[in-house]
Amino acid sequence: MSESKFETVSSLVDSYQANDELFDEIVKDSQLSDTWDRYHLIGDVMRDEVPDAINIDLSLNIAQAIADEPTVLAPVSRVSITEAVKAKVVQFAKPFGQLAIAASAAGLMVIGVQQNVAENESFSPNQVVQTNPFGGIAEPVSLNYQQTNKVSQKQAFVEQQRRFQALLQDHQQQIKFTVPAALDAESATEAEDTPK
Amino acid sequence: MKLLVLCLLVAISSPALAEEAKNNPSSTNSLKTNPVVNISPAANDNPVESADAWLKRLSHSLNTLNFSTSFVVVKNNHAEPYHWFHGINKKGEKLEILSLLNGARRDVLRKDNVISYIEPELPPYSILSTALRGPIPNVLSGKIESLAAAYNFNLVGKSRILGRISQLIRIVSKDSDRYSYWLWLDQKTGLLLKMAVATRKGQLLEQVQFTHLEISENPAESLQQLQSTELPKILEIPKGYQKQKLQWQVNWLPEGFVQMNSNRHHISATKQLVEFALFSDGLVDVSVYVTPSKEERAVDFVMDGATVALNQAIKGIEVSVVGKIPSQTAKRIADSISLQATAPQPIKP
Repeated sequence: MSESKFETVSSLVDSYQANDELFDEIVKDSQLSDTWDRYHLIGDVMRDEVPDAINIDLSLNIAQAIADEPTVLAPVSRVSITEAVKAKVVQFAKPFGQLAIAASAAGLMVIGVQQNVAENESFSPNQVVQTNPFGGIAEPVSLNYQQTNKVSQKQAFVEQQRRFQALLQDHQQQIKFTVPAALDAESATEAEDTPK
Repeated sequence: MKLLVLCLLVAISSPALAEEAKNNPSSTNSLKTNPVVNISPAANDNPVESADAWLKRLSHSLNTLNFSTSFVVVKNNHAEPYHWFHGINKKGEKLEILSLLNGARRDVLRKDNVISYIEPELPPYSILSTALRGPIPNVLSGKIESLAAAYNFNLVGKSRILGRISQLIRIVSKDSDRYSYWLWLDQKTGLLLKMAVATRKGQLLEQVQFTHLEISENPAESLQQLQSTELPKILEIPKGYQKQKLQWQVNWLPEGFVQMNSNRHHISATKQLVEFALFSDGLVDVSVYVTPSKEERAVDFVMDGATVALNQAIKGIEVSVVGKIPSQTAKRIADSISLQATAPQPIKP
């Protein structure tokens, strides 16, 4: 490779010459095309046009990465061994399979809960409950009535939800506080004196 | 007749049978009609399993086994996963840890008769009690036979739950005022594998599905740690606190409900002062709240799984009923409440 050719590449980069034959030669010759790349890079650096991360040769890196990728294939040589112990494997696999099913069921449920919590957050702090009108007792409401009282109805609804939430919570609390009769026997006699 | 049997025996020439026939002359009849039973005495080794026997076994297993288990409580459209450790230490004391795994921490710890609750609403506290209050009814580890007055125990069928063979037992209310409880019990250990609260029509309102069960010789490591842990201070419930006189009474309750508690307290979330009574039939707890009200409100209720919360304000009194009962039952209880203007009397159980 002569020195003159590098000079022509240089002048080509600087757009002093335009020669189709020379382009062909550069493309064919890896050394020349490297030089072409480098000269352009130098130009970019001098003009401050370099990207943050310089990837000198993308195609080469990709080719390298593909070559380094481990081959994902089942080992062929083991087939005969697997068949020989198949009966035992089935026995072992069974309980593990059941465990896996149980675990995945739990997983599903957990996901369900998370979604539900997210949905309810805008509404109230805890898991709540939708109100159901009591069978046959809910009063029929006229359209006008609904419109004029929409805001107050919504307030009443929110208040009602809060009330139910508080009741459900207090119910649980009182159950915990309630001591079995056997342990409370001594206090039974005191009941008469309890102040109002 | 005897001659015929003798001939038969000679023909079979079975010494064992001959001996049995000699010892038990009355067996001649059964030998003739149903010889299979007498020829295979092994059948007598397996007595017919009854639902009562299964429930007694469950109670025994829940009290004596060391186990660590996980379960999920499935309500309307959400599920709550729990982890539950249970063990008996060398002194014979019960050690338990029950933790809610999602959301804010809710743990219940138990060392013998000291039960500690760690919850977001209150600072940690302990209570002296014989039972830990969680999603699994206490009666299952107690005297299940005490439920026999109000419930029937039915042996249903076998199915596969948690990868194990299980027996389904239904605890069915004798009246239509209560829900039924379905229990799937492990054939091997007798432990609970699944539980459901169902309506009489068989609609499942709430389910407890176990997702993991491990039985061990010794209490789990976390229980051994618990043993050396100092539990929160025991909350002293003032004497007579749960037997206060109320200014009203409940005139109707389903058969078998007994008053467990009656007091005056503030509902912590709303700061409302209420007169309160708790009733239980051993399996189900029902709370009744009564307070004066200025506004009138038609009856309304919500369902949280099987738990109903019903509220109404009529004629100047607001009544709320909460518990795992049908809404019709809650309504009937609420409607049965009457005020005692003079000489308040405690409700007779």
